Amino acid sequence: MKGYSKYFGGKLLWFSVTFVAAFLLNFILPRLMPGDPVAVITQRVTTGMTSQAGVQKVYEEYANLFGTNKPMYEQFFLYVRNVFRGDLGVSFSQFPRPVADILRSSIWWTVALQFPAIILGWIIGNTLGALAAYLKGGFDKMLLPISIFISNLPAFGLAIVMLVIFGVDLGWFPTSGGYGFDLIPNMSWQFVWSVIVHYQLPFWTIVLIAIGGQAIGMRSMAIYELNADYVKYARFLGIKDRKTIMYVFRNAMLPQITGLALSVGTMVGGNLVAEVIFSYPGLGQTILTGVMGQDYPLISATTLVITLMVLIATFVIEILYGFIDPRVKAAQAD
Amino acid sequence: MKHLLQQVFRSPKFLVGFVIFSLLLLFVLIYPLFVPDNPLGIIGQGTFFEPGIYVNAYDVIGTDPRTLMLDNAAANRIASKLSPADRTAMQEYLVAVGVDEEDIELEDTEKLLDLWEAYYDPAARPAGFTAAQRRYYGRLTNNLFGILSLESVVIAAENPETGVMEQIDEVKQSDYVNVNKVANVRWLPLGTDNFGRDVLTQLVSATKTSLQIGLVAGSIATAIGLTLGLIAGYVGGWLDDIIMFITNLFTVIPGIVLLILISFSIGQENRGAVTVAVVIGITSWVWTARAVRAQVVSLRNRDHVNLSKLSGHSVAHIIVNDILPYIASYVIMALILQISSGILAEAGLSILGLGPKTTEVPTLGLMMNWALIYSAHVTNKWWAWVPVIVTIASISFSLNLMNTGLDQVFNPALRED
Amino acid sequence: MGKVMLEVRNLTTKYITRFKEDIYAVDHVSLKIEEGKSLGIAGESGCGKSTLALSLMGYYFPPLYYTSGDIIIDGKNISGMDPDVVRKSILGKEVAYIPQAAMNALNPTQKVIRFIEDVIHVHEPQKSKKEIYEFARDRFEQLGLPANVLEKYPVELSGGMKQRTVIAISVILGPKVLIADEPSSALDVTSQKMVIKMLRDLMDSGMIKAMIFITHELPLLYNVTDDIMVMYAGQIFEKAPAHEAVFDPLHPYSQGLMGSIIVPEAGLRDVKLTAIPGTPPNLKNPPSGCRFAPRCKYVKPICKVTSVGMVHVGEDRMYRCVMSEEEIRELQQ
Ligand SMILES: Nc1ncnc2c1ncn2[C@@H]1O[C@H](COP(=O)(O)OP(=O)(O)OP(=O)(O)O)[C@@H](O)[C@H]1O
Ligand SMILES: [Mg+2]
Repeated sequence: MKGYSKYFGGKLLWFSVTFVAAFLLNFILPRLMPGDPVAVITQRVTTGMTSQAGVQKVYEEYANLFGTNKPMYEQFFLYVRNVFRGDLGVSFSQFPRPVADILRSSIWWTVALQFPAIILGWIIGNTLGALAAYLKGGFDKMLLPISIFISNLPAFGLAIVMLVIFGVDLGWFPTSGGYGFDLIPNMSWQFVWSVIVHYQLPFWTIVLIAIGGQAIGMRSMAIYELNADYVKYARFLGIKDRKTIMYVFRNAMLPQITGLALSVGTMVGGNLVAEVIFSYPGLGQTILTGVMGQDYPLISATTLVITLMVLIATFVIEILYGFIDPRVKAAQAD
Repeated sequence: MKHLLQQVFRSPKFLVGFVIFSLLLLFVLIYPLFVPDNPLGIIGQGTFFEPGIYVNAYDVIGTDPRTLMLDNAAANRIASKLSPADRTAMQEYLVAVGVDEEDIELEDTEKLLDLWEAYYDPAARPAGFTAAQRRYYGRLTNNLFGILSLESVVIAAENPETGVMEQIDEVKQSDYVNVNKVANVRWLPLGTDNFGRDVLTQLVSATKTSLQIGLVAGSIATAIGLTLGLIAGYVGGWLDDIIMFITNLFTVIPGIVLLILISFSIGQENRGAVTVAVVIGITSWVWTARAVRAQVVSLRNRDHVNLSKLSGHSVAHIIVNDILPYIASYVIMALILQISSGILAEAGLSILGLGPKTTEVPTLGLMMNWALIYSAHVTNKWWAWVPVIVTIASISFSLNLMNTGLDQVFNPALRED
Repeated sequence: MGKVMLEVRNLTTKYITRFKEDIYAVDHVSLKIEEGKSLGIAGESGCGKSTLALSLMGYYFPPLYYTSGDIIIDGKNISGMDPDVVRKSILGKEVAYIPQAAMNALNPTQKVIRFIEDVIHVHEPQKSKKEIYEFARDRFEQLGLPANVLEKYPVELSGGMKQRTVIAISVILGPKVLIADEPSSALDVTSQKMVIKMLRDLMDSGMIKAMIFITHELPLLYNVTDDIMVMYAGQIFEKAPAHEAVFDPLHPYSQGLMGSIIVPEAGLRDVKLTAIPGTPPNLKNPPSGCRFAPRCKYVKPICKVTSVGMVHVGEDRMYRCVMSEEEIRELQQ
């Protein structure tokens, strides 16, 4: 157990450092850029106002409210304090709704949509990839081109194709939203059913995207492992093929887990765009609204939340990996 | 070198990818020579004109007519006038007056008309039809048989002196004009978009811009990744530690987050295509840096490098002469992948509303974004989005194929499949 | 003359590549090893030494295929036996093998003892884990390996230790014939010595009855084996007692091979200075006539047309050449 806690501790430290770095970037990057967010909101509020002094007054009021007239370091401490209180500022575009409130209503849609889909896609993709490597022949010849095709289609492309085929042409599923637009979120059966129906298209799209990527990786990984020296050696000691295959799949799967940890950020990013295609009420949509409304605090908070989400997911995967790969414990023990 | 190129082109995967990509490129370069229009020029008053050949109706009247006696002209005319709704309505009526539903073929205009002539009675009042419906059937019948009559259409214009309408021309049902003689004909192979712009012209220009974005983004990403990877891998020590620390940070922090933050902060007005490309480039070097470093580390202690070190060559000399040639193939492959992912990144950004500004040049992402905003995909306006996706997919498919082909040539150990 | 432990007659096996080309990497090879004896096999890289090692076990899987010939182990002809029978009753028990890349021969995610359990279960499925552990521990200690190796993962073992562990596993079922494919090439000198000593001890204690030792470092063979066989392009080119093979080779190729030296200078240790110009033939379409003819410094017109048979010299020497022993010796002067 000592090995694990050391591994765990190391990872935890590393992720804390990463989070701090991400946090800093989130604060600094926008401030390094030209452009003045307060000017944007002032302009919006004061359209039609003719008095220059009046505009100036509004500007100062907002600068004060968002703290942009203070020195940088003071702004930073203010930002840190507020974030830790759960205060992510006030939205520009939905003024005066707090950003935290907007995010609270969208983050769970994304979490509940993406993570189950990515995990399911990962499992199916790896199984198919392993089978393709093992069975070769027809199955492989069919699976490989399909996977290559899917993984060459960008996430949003697949989303649109799925939407048009199953939503528009066949009409099996609704084409947009997270639930019927005429419903108010509550715990009724009707609402839950509507959520389930709306969930299907985005969910299976993301599953499919994940399958495409994973199957190819697993296939070549398994082919590589199948030719490994230990497989040959085990066979020449009389060990049954069925058993050596188990060695191979286990060993081929481990890098796939690490790969998942490394690519979860990219996957989530691509899927956010897919969410937008389905007008799913998750974080993708939030970004779109933020961009359309020039909503500076909302964008900044959303990116922070996405980073945190990805970091946690990566962390969890790496911790699980520590339990699954015996070498981790062995390497930490000495 | 020549031998290597030969080998590369003998790889079927590379060849297929190369051919697809070259054809695309060729089209993008040649098309503007024939259609030099402004890709963002609005030519259509209205949204989403269907693909097809648009013949100027005014010029048709002015063109010398020729008489062609074609048997099926009338039937075609009616067929094109009869909407599916009309056909269904006719079917309903026919069934109501006792025709077997099996005998009615909605697609076969001629048969349908025969049945109609046989069974339709303007005076009859079959059960189940309102007065309004009966009037509709009356009008429909008049229209249909009006077309069948041999009357011609008169073209009249106002006499500017008297203000009276005077006949200036007459168009008969058997009049034809040669399309080549009509002054204004415009082929819109992919129709127009929501703003009334020619989709194909736009698509060609967008493909060119997107390829440029991909190239710029890919080159920047590869250059940064290569430099960092070389320094970290060859120099090692604390430089390696620092670079690897930063690289690991940016591996975990999702690239899209940085992309969104930076693009948003730059602001819509300042985001030109080049700016977007640069932003994509500086946020996507991580994988190249990692991989280059790994390769350099494994090369660092090879005999030929040691020999070079012993002979007192400078670090720069060693890197250029003894390291770069060995990772060149890898760097080229990384560049190809970066180009493809740069194009996809631009598209993703544009869909989120963070693409290049919309007033200068179209990009594939912007076209996708417009199609989505104007719901082309849910209203069956396929020509506004399918070609865009097909283009994006073929670019990324061909680049990936070339990459796989190169990989097989350069890493023969992986040829197992 | 002792009891013959392993006899091979005209064994031919081939690789079928994914482009459906045949590569005859073992071409009509015959050999014989008596009880208590060891045979060394030498030859340039790619001449088919490893393929011969694999072919000797009578168990084939793609891309390697059996073509013709007999393999007789301790009086039992195993060629033509049902593969599953070979797997259960021959592999590991009659003949065992130490792979060329012993560094990667163990499953990286499996403890050594788990793998040993898997190996023993093939032949003795009823044996309990505890019995296997005790048996393996005794065997390891007997071979001078610490018992705690059993509870380790391969990554935790040093290169030399890994190599010796692989050897111990190969002989765990008590095989009569052991085939060692370059068991010492990737190791440092100390580990090399330990590995060689271990193999010698195995022979001396009678735990294994006969051994084939493959290497391209000839000096090593001279110290370890009784006979030496030189391979070229899938064929046997010379066979002689170790001393003669090293100090008095007859075939021009063997002479060239003995001339190849390994420069022991630090830093340049791996640089081989080959005394034979040219490269071995491509086995997809080997030259007709003598396969060595294109590189032979004594080549005659006839070499390129007639296929060349073996010339026997005395009881235990033979070589493949058109020249007689006297001719060769004359040319050598
Ligand atoms: N899996 C394979 N498929 C096709 N051909 C192969 C395969 N493995 C080996 N060969 C070919 O068979 C020939 C003999 O290879 P082998 O590995 O037996 O040589 P070797 O003498 O053991 O060389 P080394 O000293 O490098 O180990 C070579 O020409 C090689 O190209
Ligand atoms: Mg070998």
